[in-house]
Amino acid sequence: MKMFKKLFERDEVHSADVARERLKLMLSQDRLQRQQPDFLPRLQKELVDVIRRYTQSSQDDIQISCHALPQRSQIEVNVSWPRNT
Amino acid sequence: MAKVVVITSGKGGVGKTTSCASIGTALAMQGFRTVLIDFDVGLRNLDLVMGCERRVVYDLINVLSGEAKLSQALIKDKRLDGLYMLPASQTRDKDALTLEGVEEIINELKEDFDYILCDSPAGIERGALLAMYFAEEAVIVTNPEVSSVRDSDRIIGLLDSKTRMAEQGQAVPSRLLITRYNPERVEQSEMMSVKDIEEILAIPLVGVVPESEAVLKASNQGIPVVHDQESDAGQAYSDMTARFLGEERDMRFAEIEKKGFFSRMFGGRR
Repeated sequence: MKMFKKLFERDEVHSADVARERLKLMLSQDRLQRQQPDFLPRLQKELVDVIRRYTQSSQDDIQISCHALPQRSQIEVNVSWPRNT
Repeated sequence: MAKVVVITSGKGGVGKTTSCASIGTALAMQGFRTVLIDFDVGLRNLDLVMGCERRVVYDLINVLSGEAKLSQALIKDKRLDGLYMLPASQTRDKDALTLEGVEEIINELKEDFDYILCDSPAGIERGALLAMYFAEEAVIVTNPEVSSVRDSDRIIGLLDSKTRMAEQGQAVPSRLLITRYNPERVEQSEMMSVKDIEEILAIPLVGVVPESEAVLKASNQGIPVVHDQESDAGQAYSDMTARFLGEERDMRFAEIEKKGFFSRMFGGRR
């Protein structure tokens, strides 16, 4: 019984730690998103639509990321698709 | 020269108005001529917390639309000389709230006051953006709770981009005020600690106000809690204001108080 309790206690996760970890993850995403231009989600969607009109790419085959360079912003688009098409 | 300070948080109900009332009062106690502006058009509350709701004749919107002079709308605090407030409108729509109008009011107040505290509404809409736009310093009020910390981070982002100082390429100096803190629960790992929040938001800490019965009691009576110097929250706001002015003070309420024999026997006031 004692051993069982010990086992249980060790597995118990403190909620403050959970809160801190969740926040850190969420905020890193939030902060990234904030730096991106407002039109990015729309552009992303349209690019995906156009690319998929020509290729057999799945959603995961198209990766679009936005970078801030010192003077300019840059969009990087990576597309792949199955070869036998 | 007057300093414009915004009291903001993003999330509602974390203690912006309570903090604004107490910081303003504490500044006036130190002899600074201070005016509090309630930017929460449609949901004004600062007048209630300050206990001057029955003396509101004209409000911010009246002044902005030219129906009243600024001097007619300012309400003098009944307890302290040199403390005034400009109430928000309770009924009128907020379209009258314009950047130019607010700038005019702030410029006029700057001639007469040392500190202009802008009590921001919750959210990130027009009222909140206008409350922060002219700020030269910011106090971010945060509860040790995930949604509050996240919203504060968002507000810090806006201070860095949507203020006049930001447009001029400067950062608005922002400091963190943690309210409703419960060191016992932090000890139990049931609440994020001051250190956790400081680390996440990455702005300097200016004060910690403990969760306290005195806060509700004070707002019930319309007396800013800083007047209650017997209470932990009242003392915390005094400390916070002193730090805001550049003094160094111990963070008294961030740790569990070691109770002495007498307070253990007879119970201390929390």
